[in-house]
Amino acid sequence: MLVHVVDDDDAMRESLEFLLGSAGFSVRLYDSAKPLLDALDSIASGCILTDVRMPETDGFELLRRVRESSRPVPVIVMTGHGDVPLAVEAMKLGAHDFVEKPFDDEALVALLRSALEKTAASEPADPGLAEFKTRLSTLSQRERQVLDGLIAGDANKVIAIDLDISPRTVEIYRAKLMSKMRASSLSELVRFAVRAGIA
Amino acid sequence: MRLRVSLAAMNRPEPISLPSDQAGIIGQGESELRRTLDNAGIGTWSWDLVAGKISLSKTCAELMGATKLDGEHPEVLQNLIHPDDREMRANAIQHAIERGDAYDIDYRVVRPDGQVCWLRSRGRVQSDASGHPLLLRGVVLNIDARKQAEDELRARQEHLRSILDTVPEGMIVIDEHGIMVSFSPTAERLFGYMAEEVIGRNIKMLMPEPDQSRHDSYLRRYQETGEKRIIGIGRLVTGLRRNGSVFPMELSVGEMRSGDRVFYTGFINDVSERQATQVRLREIQAELVHMSRLTAMGEMASTLAHELNQPLAAISNYMKGCKRLLEQGDRNALPKISEALEKSAEQAIRAGQIIRRLRDFVSRGETEKRFERVAQLIEEASALALVGGRERGVITRFEFDHQAQSVMVDRVQVQQILVNLLRNAMDAMQSSSRRELTVAARSNSEGMVEIVVSDTGPGIAEEVADKLFQPFVTTKPSGMGVGLSISRTIAEAHGGNLWVESNPAGGASFHLTLPAAENGAAAYAE
Repeated sequence: MLVHVVDDDDAMRESLEFLLGSAGFSVRLYDSAKPLLDALDSIASGCILTDVRMPETDGFELLRRVRESSRPVPVIVMTGHGDVPLAVEAMKLGAHDFVEKPFDDEALVALLRSALEKTAASEPADPGLAEFKTRLSTLSQRERQVLDGLIAGDANKVIAIDLDISPRTVEIYRAKLMSKMRASSLSELVRFAVRAGIA
Repeated sequence: MRLRVSLAAMNRPEPISLPSDQAGIIGQGESELRRTLDNAGIGTWSWDLVAGKISLSKTCAELMGATKLDGEHPEVLQNLIHPDDREMRANAIQHAIERGDAYDIDYRVVRPDGQVCWLRSRGRVQSDASGHPLLLRGVVLNIDARKQAEDELRARQEHLRSILDTVPEGMIVIDEHGIMVSFSPTAERLFGYMAEEVIGRNIKMLMPEPDQSRHDSYLRRYQETGEKRIIGIGRLVTGLRRNGSVFPMELSVGEMRSGDRVFYTGFINDVSERQATQVRLREIQAELVHMSRLTAMGEMASTLAHELNQPLAAISNYMKGCKRLLEQGDRNALPKISEALEKSAEQAIRAGQIIRRLRDFVSRGETEKRFERVAQLIEEASALALVGGRERGVITRFEFDHQAQSVMVDRVQVQQILVNLLRNAMDAMQSSSRRELTVAARSNSEGMVEIVVSDTGPGIAEEVADKLFQPFVTTKPSGMGVGLSISRTIAEAHGGNLWVESNPAGGASFHLTLPAAENGAAAYAE
């Protein structure tokens, strides 16, 4: 149950250590990507929880390097709330998942557990993914277009301009497709969309 | 109103007998005097009313263009007079004869060569003991040069008047006591008074308070100290029309000394219209400035959101961790919990600092603080903001406390607040039956100057009053709701404050406080 926390922000690191510690995880702290990458070969277990915006080596670079390494431990990327393009990018780069700041501690703990389990049993089949693909086929053409826009990280207004419809109409399509996809949040939608290979 | 008396009447003097001594009327001494006068260019003449004959001195004949000196009929002279002046001359002479007294007239003669010459003629009637006129005599002198100078002067005056009547600026001349002595047609249009209604009255009637009650002392102070605050400088001030409305005007004053007396000439430019354009321009500029800041904020938004997210996420982490530890019920974890709470409090402060930086950014701009006169700050802002107030039927009053002299502020920023408050007040009274706007300035006990803008509008509901200074809260149909929040930020950046209160009589009062400049510093603001 070892979590490597990478964040250049002292308060963020220390508070995560405290929170994860209280949830029973062992925590190792890194104030930048470099010390972790230097020690990457010696990291045999655990998962990485990293910030994206960091000076010098950012979270994406760290992710890329970890994925290329001989021991690709799962990486969970911390993003700002609602930063869809960043989340999509992280998922495409092969992050295990992303988590939005501030964290829902239950969700974070569950996420870390699933990541740590993944280390043990490689690539478990995600039962949700097949369902996601089935639901995807029920979307109308317009709903699908709006979905593509959302996953690209576009705001409603931008989608409206691209599709030459009113923002109000985009809102309606958006609500419809969210309910059809049974997605409780945009981040959940993004997560599945990337895994399903449509983002 | 000339008397129509024909010269023929004079040709029929009453037949009276001439006393014998009358013949020796031109004695030895008198002919000596006549020569002296002749040499001095003054013609002398006499008219024997009984005989109907005239006698002219040499110079007199020359001046009038007469050929014979003695014995001519008076009609001969009348024919030498310029046709336009004949009737006037005849009337004057007739009148003098009837009343037995004198006349003094100017007329023109036409010389044989056609040359016109101005003469002055004075004559006096001599009567016998019973009051019958016997003789008329007098002097004639050339006043051609003087008349020409007068004509030129008059032409120049007419020219000047025609210019002054047509220049777009109103002109008012006052004496050293502030009494109006001249009021141009443009001034009549601007203020709504006719010249004859105001001439002789004190100019302060054309100013709103507090200038109205202070103008006399302004004049006295200038006359005693010679310290110029407006003369030769020009300023934006507020004028008071006949109907009680005020308007922004540019005033430049010149000083003129005439003998012992002093006159001040004010040129007045109604700048309402120009200012309406300028106000719009400034509104657009202000909007642009603000929009550019918002855009810059948009660019900064993700950075700021990230920055703000850090402490908030950290606090959340500490709190959730504490909750977990507390739920585990381990007493040994208490010091850890205490430490975590301490750290999360620190993070809350950090979040606050980030927000402060954001606010600083929003209110950022070229700030240049100087000593500014409170009255002038308000007057200039009012002149701008009250454009169109007359059309909206708003009556404005100013109440300035002598103590509230100067403040140390960025003029543009503070006037931005004032313009904002004044425009808001006008907007608020749009559908009120009573539309009175009061701007008061006073110094309070905390070393602050408090400026209060009160209206007689519907007032502000208590539930809105709390939110009014938050950004994007507005009671106006069109409006971004940023004016008051920016205004408060500016006020706070000056070490002052901005808040709203309800008037007991209805309407709202916005209170702006600014740090008063020390007394010593006040002098610099002048």
